Amino acid sequence: MASSKDKVSEVNQSIYDFRYAENASYKTDSGLTEDIVRQISKEKHDPDWMLDFRLKSLEIYNSMTIPEWGPPIDGLHMEDIVTYIKPNTDMKGKWDEVPDDIKDTFEKLGIPQAERESLAGVGAQYDSEVVYHNVKKEVEEQGVIYTDMESALTGEYSDIVKEHFMKLVPPTDHKFAALHGAVWSGGSFVYVPAGVHVDIPLQSYFRLNAAGAGQFEHTLIVVEPGAYLHFIEGCSAPKYNVANLHAGCVELFVGDGARLRYSTIENWSKNMYNLNTKRATVGKDGIMEWVSGSFGSHTSYLYPMTILKGDNSKMEFTGITFAGKGQQLDTGDKVVHIGKNTSSHISTKSISKDGGECVYRGEVIITENAANSRSSVNCDSLMLDSISRSDTIPAMDIRNATSDVGHEAKIGRISDEAVFYLMSRGMSEEDAKSMIVSGFAEPVAKELPLEYAVEMNNLIKLEMDTRD
Amino acid sequence: MNKNTGLSVNHLPVLTWNHIGINEAQFPETELAEVEFDACYEKSGFGKEIAEIFDNIETGMGAEAVAFTMNHCTNPIFIRVKEGEKKVIEPLKYTFADGAKVCDVTYILAEKNSEVSVFQSYISEDDTASYHAGLTKIVALEGAKVTLIQTQLLNDSSLHSNDLGIKIEDSAKVELVQAELGAKMDYVGCMALLSGYCAEFAADTIYYGDEKRKTDLNFIARHTGKKTVSNMKAKGALFGETDKVYRGTIDFINGCKKAKGDESEETLIFSDKARNRTIPLILCDEEDVVGNHAATIGRINENRMFYLMSRGLSENEVKELVVRASYESVLSRITDEEIRSKVDSYLERRMIIE
Repeated sequence: MASSKDKVSEVNQSIYDFRYAENASYKTDSGLTEDIVRQISKEKHDPDWMLDFRLKSLEIYNSMTIPEWGPPIDGLHMEDIVTYIKPNTDMKGKWDEVPDDIKDTFEKLGIPQAERESLAGVGAQYDSEVVYHNVKKEVEEQGVIYTDMESALTGEYSDIVKEHFMKLVPPTDHKFAALHGAVWSGGSFVYVPAGVHVDIPLQSYFRLNAAGAGQFEHTLIVVEPGAYLHFIEGCSAPKYNVANLHAGCVELFVGDGARLRYSTIENWSKNMYNLNTKRATVGKDGIMEWVSGSFGSHTSYLYPMTILKGDNSKMEFTGITFAGKGQQLDTGDKVVHIGKNTSSHISTKSISKDGGECVYRGEVIITENAANSRSSVNCDSLMLDSISRSDTIPAMDIRNATSDVGHEAKIGRISDEAVFYLMSRGMSEEDAKSMIVSGFAEPVAKELPLEYAVEMNNLIKLEMDTRD
Repeated sequence: MNKNTGLSVNHLPVLTWNHIGINEAQFPETELAEVEFDACYEKSGFGKEIAEIFDNIETGMGAEAVAFTMNHCTNPIFIRVKEGEKKVIEPLKYTFADGAKVCDVTYILAEKNSEVSVFQSYISEDDTASYHAGLTKIVALEGAKVTLIQTQLLNDSSLHSNDLGIKIEDSAKVELVQAELGAKMDYVGCMALLSGYCAEFAADTIYYGDEKRKTDLNFIARHTGKKTVSNMKAKGALFGETDKVYRGTIDFINGCKKAKGDESEETLIFSDKARNRTIPLILCDEEDVVGNHAATIGRINENRMFYLMSRGLSENEVKELVVRASYESVLSRITDEEIRSKVDSYLERRMIIE
């Protein structure tokens, strides 16, 4: 893969790499102190319990150490990060009312168009606050609630929020969960009543515009028994020369017999430290499906976790990670089987090129009580050159005698035989390699709605260099 | 060395989440007289140059275990097989009684195009708590072939550690066959460095866990040479309240073009109180390689169970048959009749499937 004609081009970031001058109505100083946490809480009109929660989280943050495993995060200096930037607008329910610079940003990202064509509702976050939220009338009439977290926290759903907020991911989970608990802002709250089937997806899009800032949105989704929802999350940011930080938190509660599909296309800019935490708990006969594409960020720690609590619950995880020059993407997933007859199926792909480093880090735990459970894990890694790196670190912890766990991993390059075969059928070498790499990523693309599969293909843009 | 918790051993080559408890393990030290290992060395006639090769070989259990075993070495053994020579070494049989404490260090040097087969056996003769820390280092020079067969049948009160460091040069091959079946704590570490062109390493390990046995295994095949091939297999059955950890790593270092690494583990679990942790790693810093790992953990495949039961076997008979069949590739290599019969009677006595 050393010759130039074998070269696979960089992920095309140009469509995401634009920025507007910061136009904040309020921003905190950089760094993390009790005063800053109090200011954020005051600015957001938190209820008292939330202020206490933030301060307790800050205490936990200060008492915890940075993980000694995983890629280095030495370039991240909390004292330089601005944790809260309020855009110069309130949340709008009509697109026309959103300020021009912000509107242009989301127009360029294609969000309003997607809303018109294929979504049941959209939320758009700009820096620390949600600036737009809208849900289709017919979905609202089904009793579905889709709003920003702040409105949910202080409005009529405050009890539901209080009952679930950071219960799945407690601030004690790890240092950056504690950080999130202290300075979280923005994000979406979704509630799908029992038995309601939301036919078309909801989407939240997170955009971090300011340099040297952090985004800490909180997504809380409650899908009641027998209900169905597909939720899509997208994220991007322009590239700066200073470190940005994303430490979001996603908590998903899937009720008995309910089904939730959570799709993410993550394309943060390559100065981003993406230290994100996602977790789902699934009730009896419930189903959790994850589709996860990780393309951006300088450094990622991302391991969506599923707790299969109810008997017969299921989870499926399909993920792809693409690490290019300067990227260290440590991604994977975790699953804990607690209920009987539970099953999990995990399938991941990774592509490393131009010195990029991909790590698959996983964990399957089958507890004593999870009788007759099954888990299968498949990890495929593709190395596109010899300056890149790819590691597979899957752990399995099995504690009963009636379960089956299977794990398979493969690592390698594009096979010469496959290229030869395609070339013998009349394709050029470049086309053959391009087709093989697209085919490698295809199992993930087919899990996405069409519009997002197109976005993913845009992102990958695996074009062969024909300069030879 | 941490005096409170013992020796820090069997390190995972890269760290992962601490809560899984597999980043490393602790193996107890024991009170033993200190020795000057260099003095044993000098008598061996290995010479300074060769001594340095052995000194630089990393092992699977790691530096603390090596230092402890060498500094308390009770049984130094040096085997040198000259160029072109073929040798089967007289079996090294260690029998433990009266709370014996043994630290044996075995160095095997297989010179160019030589062949050697070494057999090590560790067996308890009574119920007293004995202690064994073993260190075996192997250097296989160009075209050499080394086969090491190990069996361990210590009693339920004894502690056993088995540390291996292997260096394989051009076109040389090392084969490791292990039956790790006994002891209260059974800790094995093996690091094979495939540094030569076309070097090969194969490991076939069986383990058996019952009652409260702790089994902790750490295998690493590090490929630095071109066209190197590794194949590591581990198979085992878990009963009672046993706790087993298996770490298996294929480590492709940049430059090991056309290297191939395979790794597999099959674990059968027969008790809801047993715990199995497996972490098969592939670390890859080179594009032109092929790495595969596979693990199957849990109960006996339903189709296999159905087939055998439809042929008239009871469920328990099927289970025993399947475990024995999975052990066969290793057991068939134990050609020493005395040891083989002890292994068979041990398994017969211990393997009670209910």
